[in-house]
Amino acid sequence: MRKGTRLRLVLRDLGAGCAFASMAVSGQLPIWALALHGLALVFALAGRRPFANRVKLTAVLLLAVALSLGTYVLAGSLNLVVAACTFAGLISAQRMLSTPDAATDGQVLLSGLLMVAGGAALSGELVYGLFLIGFGVLASIALALGVVEAAVPEDEPVPVRAVMGPLAKGVGFAVLGAVAFFVFFPRLNWNVIGPGPGLGLGVATAGFSNTVRLGGAGTIKDNPRIVLRATLSPDPERETLDAYWVGRTYDVFDGQEWSNARKVSSKPTLMSTLRLGRDNLVHQRVELMPAYGARTLVALETPSRLGNAVASTSQGPRRTSILELGGGEVRFETTGIAYSYEAYSLPPGAGGDDLRDLPPEEQDALLSLPEGLDVRVGQTAARVLNGERDPMAAAQKLSTWLQREYSYTLEQGGDVPDPVADFLFQRKQGHCEHFATALTLMLRTQGMRARLATGFFGGERVTGGYVVRAGDAHAWTHVLVPGRGFVTVDATPPAHRASQSPRLLEQLINFYEIVESQWRDVVLDYNFRDQLTMARTLMGPRSAPRQDEAPGRAPPPRAWVAALLAAVVAYGAWRALARLLSRERPLEATRFADAVEALLASARVARTEGETLEELAARLTRAGHPLAPTLTPLTRRYLEARFGGRPLRQGEAQQHLSALRQAVARESRRVANEGTPPPQARAS
Amino acid sequence: MTPRRSVRWARLRSRLRPPRTLKVTRIGRTYLVVTFGVGLGALNTGNNLLYLLLGLLLSMVVVSGVLSERCLRYLSVRRVGADAAFAQEPFVFRWAISRGQGHAFALTLSEADSPLSGSGGVGYLPAGVDHIVRADLTAPRRGPVRLTGVRVTTTWPLGLFAKTRTFPLESTLLIYPRRTYACQDPGAPEQGPVGEAGNPRRNDGNGDVSGLRDLAPGEDARRIHWVKSASAGKLLRVEREREERRTFVLTVADGLDAQALERRCEEVAALAHRLIEEGHEVGLDTPGERIRPAAGAAQERRLLRALAWLGHERPGGGEEAA
Repeated sequence: MRKGTRLRLVLRDLGAGCAFASMAVSGQLPIWALALHGLALVFALAGRRPFANRVKLTAVLLLAVALSLGTYVLAGSLNLVVAACTFAGLISAQRMLSTPDAATDGQVLLSGLLMVAGGAALSGELVYGLFLIGFGVLASIALALGVVEAAVPEDEPVPVRAVMGPLAKGVGFAVLGAVAFFVFFPRLNWNVIGPGPGLGLGVATAGFSNTVRLGGAGTIKDNPRIVLRATLSPDPERETLDAYWVGRTYDVFDGQEWSNARKVSSKPTLMSTLRLGRDNLVHQRVELMPAYGARTLVALETPSRLGNAVASTSQGPRRTSILELGGGEVRFETTGIAYSYEAYSLPPGAGGDDLRDLPPEEQDALLSLPEGLDVRVGQTAARVLNGERDPMAAAQKLSTWLQREYSYTLEQGGDVPDPVADFLFQRKQGHCEHFATALTLMLRTQGMRARLATGFFGGERVTGGYVVRAGDAHAWTHVLVPGRGFVTVDATPPAHRASQSPRLLEQLINFYEIVESQWRDVVLDYNFRDQLTMARTLMGPRSAPRQDEAPGRAPPPRAWVAALLAAVVAYGAWRALARLLSRERPLEATRFADAVEALLASARVARTEGETLEELAARLTRAGHPLAPTLTPLTRRYLEARFGGRPLRQGEAQQHLSALRQAVARESRRVANEGTPPPQARAS
Repeated sequence: MTPRRSVRWARLRSRLRPPRTLKVTRIGRTYLVVTFGVGLGALNTGNNLLYLLLGLLLSMVVVSGVLSERCLRYLSVRRVGADAAFAQEPFVFRWAISRGQGHAFALTLSEADSPLSGSGGVGYLPAGVDHIVRADLTAPRRGPVRLTGVRVTTTWPLGLFAKTRTFPLESTLLIYPRRTYACQDPGAPEQGPVGEAGNPRRNDGNGDVSGLRDLAPGEDARRIHWVKSASAGKLLRVEREREERRTFVLTVADGLDAQALERRCEEVAALAHRLIEEGHEVGLDTPGERIRPAAGAAQERRLLRALAWLGHERPGGGEEAA
């Protein structure tokens, strides 16, 4: 294999890998297809092509796979697009492992093209865009090297370095052209089916279950992935929101896990009113990201109304109903990859439910204690409260005590018979569920009603909204205060309530989120209306500025476009001028010789009839004439320009003539000073 | 339209539509089909990512056209020619190609509108370098081949399209008769061996032994070196410093039909080659030309040229590529 061929094959295979990855980020391809293509890529990159001599056998296998996929599609267990993409990936893998020749190269890259198109139909992830660019660049280089390699004779190396420069420019212009086409091509579509959202960076980890179980082993993973994005109205305009986003509450604890006394399900509805509010409700437009991985709606504490939900499924966005369950939980009826909905919450400080609003079984459950609860729990609570009977003050007192006496850890203590006693009297360290459970049960032992709430704590400001991470998952206590309803009391130390992930990782995730948000706004959601707005901005008359609007510092878009056009025109003029100046002038050497002869004539250098410039220079050199050292290289340069195919460069003639002019002037001064004529060589 | 305006218009048209031919390659056809499919998909679904991909695919087509056009500009081509071109066998042909400015990639050179098959290629051509491109061409038949121009084709940058520019370059390439085996005997020589008649060793040359070579059909068996032949396993004949030299005049009869004339030309060429190799003097007698007997490579070339022109009308002048 000659130099350059190996590189071309590696680039070709990596390009195919990028194309397959652009489909794989959707998370919809079967695992076995991912494994097979990954294996084929590894083999191909290692230079091993086991299918080189087994073309027919592998073709039969591919046919069998096609039939299987077709059967799955007909049975309705596999999406047609997913099946087609899977098959394109397998064809690509088969071709990668076959004997590399011109036809195979083309097939690998064309199957890559099909995979990229399939990826566009399957996924709308930002990562898709990166893989698309990767495929475009790698496939272009591989194709170009293949084209050059075919034209280079067998025994010569492929000029890889020389290819890269012009090709990079070409690919750059192609990307610019693609952007221009994307922006300006009118969106007049027959249907509108956008790409479905993918699962993004790995599987979903956050989630709500019907129970909260204490115990378990290992470390709680503090995941920085963003699970919720919300825009609030009115906007608090704070960098950190530090708010409780409640998902559901639990009222029954059996010693190991929390559950609900009431397990009912309401009828599906588009908008659910949990509790009545006034005009000062906080409106939230919430997006639950694919990393969320549950169907429970969350809202700022205390939610009033939830609804207008849309689920993003693999078949596109779909309006979905919601169901109200026990524990104040509201769920989407449809399972989707991501969701968006609206929520209204009571303003901070407003009271929640009153005891009378709750069903009887829930009222009873708020004081229930697990059988066999360690008596030390009640004794400790009584000792700490020291006769305090006000629920709010008691909760605050216990919360402060817990935060002071116990430490926070993400290490779980393992399965023990009584996790609350283990936390309070043995380990004396735990995570938010331990703190919240301990506080709730200690209050109940003293006859005060309380329940456990789960959801998220936090909210970081990103691009005008707030984001919540998977690591912000949290548990806290609702204390029933007479006359105020349920009030939130958090026993977890404040420093450990929000996500504990590394700052750098969070910043990276934030950056990705910002870029991803721009990607969605500028690329995925770009439509005909945006095109019209842009056209109006560029071409329409400038509207009069509003009185209350502060004048912007940035120039208007028209100025940018005009500047761009001016730059293009200036560049074109510069190129044309450069071409004009560097063009070959056919008579320049002759004109140069004429100028030299004129200068020599002005210096009164005698010439014989028909004597050429070359002969004259030779004669003057022989005679030791003072002008000879200047004239000889000048004559040689003239001959090169006239007959040697080396034209004079821009300004070179003037440079030589200037040197000769100076030499002539020096000679004239010398003659005038000394009064001796220069040695005259006689023509022979 | 005034003449000046029409000239300007013609100049503008030639600038906008330079004399190029464009052919879609096999991979290019599939690429266009996929592009069409992606376009339909984008229009049907309104999927912006498909629009983005479509834009990229179409831009690649445009960039491909621009880069290939840049490749074919500022080129100059001249023929270097071939040493000897025989019909129906590959012969080496050379062109010299250079570029005034910029780079060119993946150029394939061939003769335009000629029966010569084959092409030569250059992978990378920097500016200011006179690059010699070598190609193995094949001509189907004997005779002069009129060369009208050199076709320079490039599939740069992606191999989707083959763009061709033809450089008009008039010339003639003379194809010698096909090299075959001479079946027939050349006939009696016009003049016997040089030297004294009756010399018993007249057929054996004279002087010292200079070497051994394979015995050709029809040669005198008395010249076989039996000892060396037995050890080599084949018949070897002795060559001496002064070999016998006879004079043959080969003839091509008048009135032969096309096929017979071709066969005769090939046979005469083969005979002439063999006789000249053996050191004889060979002449040629054709209906339109008579070449006096002579020996040596120059005479063989003379005979081949005469045989190549046989049946064809010679032009008054004109440069020959070989």
